[in-house]
Amino acid sequence: MTHKSIVVIVGLIVTLFTGSVLSACAEFEPRDKRFYYRALWNFALRENLKELDIEFNGVDFGHSNLYENLLLTGARDVSAIEEKARTQTLQFIESRPVLNPNEEAIAPTYMKLAWKAQNTFDEAHALHRATYDIYVSDLADKESALRKVLAFYQDSAYAITAKRLDHRRLDTLPYSKSFRRKFPLFNATIWAYHYLQVVVYDALATASDLPTKQKAVEPILTTYHGYLDTPPVTWTFMPMTAELSPKFATEYPEIANIFDNLHMMHDTISDILVTDLLPTWEDKRQEIYRVTQAYYWASADATNPFIVRDGHQHHPDATPAMKPGGQGGHSGH
Amino acid sequence: MKHNTARVAALVLLVAPTIVWALDHDNLDPNRPIAIEDAYVVPQGEIGVEGGVAFNDRRQGHSQFTFQPQLIIGAFANTQLELSSDLLTDPRSVVGDDKSGNLTAGMLYNFNTETLTLPAFAARVQLGFPTGVNAQGVDTALTGVMTRSYGRWRTHLNVGYTFLGSPQGQERSGAYRVVAAVSYPLGYPTSFRDTIITNIFTRQSDVVGQRNPTGLGVGLRHQLSSRVVVDGGIGTELYGPSNRSTVFGTIGLSVGF
Repeated sequence: MTHKSIVVIVGLIVTLFTGSVLSACAEFEPRDKRFYYRALWNFALRENLKELDIEFNGVDFGHSNLYENLLLTGARDVSAIEEKARTQTLQFIESRPVLNPNEEAIAPTYMKLAWKAQNTFDEAHALHRATYDIYVSDLADKESALRKVLAFYQDSAYAITAKRLDHRRLDTLPYSKSFRRKFPLFNATIWAYHYLQVVVYDALATASDLPTKQKAVEPILTTYHGYLDTPPVTWTFMPMTAELSPKFATEYPEIANIFDNLHMMHDTISDILVTDLLPTWEDKRQEIYRVTQAYYWASADATNPFIVRDGHQHHPDATPAMKPGGQGGHSGH
Repeated sequence: MKHNTARVAALVLLVAPTIVWALDHDNLDPNRPIAIEDAYVVPQGEIGVEGGVAFNDRRQGHSQFTFQPQLIIGAFANTQLELSSDLLTDPRSVVGDDKSGNLTAGMLYNFNTETLTLPAFAARVQLGFPTGVNAQGVDTALTGVMTRSYGRWRTHLNVGYTFLGSPQGQERSGAYRVVAAVSYPLGYPTSFRDTIITNIFTRQSDVVGQRNPTGLGVGLRHQLSSRVVVDGGIGTELYGPSNRSTVFGTIGLSVGF
């Protein structure tokens, strides 16, 4: 064996050893990015129903911008969130972005604080996107495609549980409601996004062709923009899929549960970033990871105390389903 | 020079129609458009095709054009496999490890994502097979990669060493290279389609006894559509041997699907 070969082998061993040592560090986190489910219907929403896709691109900005600003301001400056950050978000939505934004450029600090949670969001958002694409595509067998993307999603270690969680109980953690109490306008804006994200399913499913789908989403977008202009601060709970798209929730309860749990997880993290009960970034990081892994990840299904196991509705006093796009909005609890 | 321009134009025309789909514009790969990569790999499951045309105008000797096709696969978790080649317009004049027509297989492994206290680290192993003009022996390159961000600014460091399998004439048997770079996403908070990158680099010369080529470059990656990123870059070697670059540049496409 030549001297050169020995140097190469030693170099490889040193590299692997360094990697192993780094792996042992407490803050050492794998990146674990996964590509979306590859299919012919990818980007069907972007190509066929641009008006709605543009709105979702705008929505992508909101959470990341909120989390970054909550972290950097310590959630102490109300106007920095309710006025400046919210205005930035509305301006981005108004810019009608044709591509989804790079969230790591929006929230570089938050991404470094809680990557696992962000990757959890990213994968669930990819599921959201995939379902919209399928609904807008010309696929004949949409059900089969939806089952496949669900299976692909659930194959990830970062998958959110498809079980129904007791959101009311999840909303009674010691710091729950911190965000909405301190920043009601931004909270209502976030809930307006969640309204848009789930209300479109039944509207798209009912419409048979693209022009009809376009027509079906028009009143929804009008309502959504009404909520952005006048945030629905009277809502007391986030919009639920079963209320806004009951047909979708009945046909695909697992996907509906994942989306509701995703939206609840967004609210929980907002609360953690605001509360004074967790004063340091490290406290917040630990709590974000604790709830993500113990209460939201599917891998915790066997022990998750918030899974509804007795069949009871998790918020029985919910208002009946609303008409998609109806101005009545979500009245919550 | 005119002759070379015509060749490049032909290459661009040949390549462009075959590439219809890309990688994130903030995920930096070597030579797309300048010599730096970040510590992150493409997502598991992604397939990327990259291609570019580079020109190198030297102080002495022939100017060169290079076509740089590359296939990138997110083969495993946090692991990217690559297959690439460089095709040069003046292949017989090349010294060093970048022989025209060599087939290069590489693996980039990302150890971790960046946290508040730890940068992101990655390691690259690359084998250059002697399929090209005047090539002999298998070249091996090892590179350590680090990415650390400060707000929206990202800094990157690449430190590598290449072992030539069979050096010829006055070629070095091995050479180190160091590249440091800064990248920044342009447009916040209203646009997220562009990343600007600037680097400084130094590397041991290909031939024994010459000074290190040392220079700087600047480039831009622009997200053209959901799957396509276009890039362009330009640079110069400020110090180095007499045949160092006066100016070099590249234009390219990255497509993810």
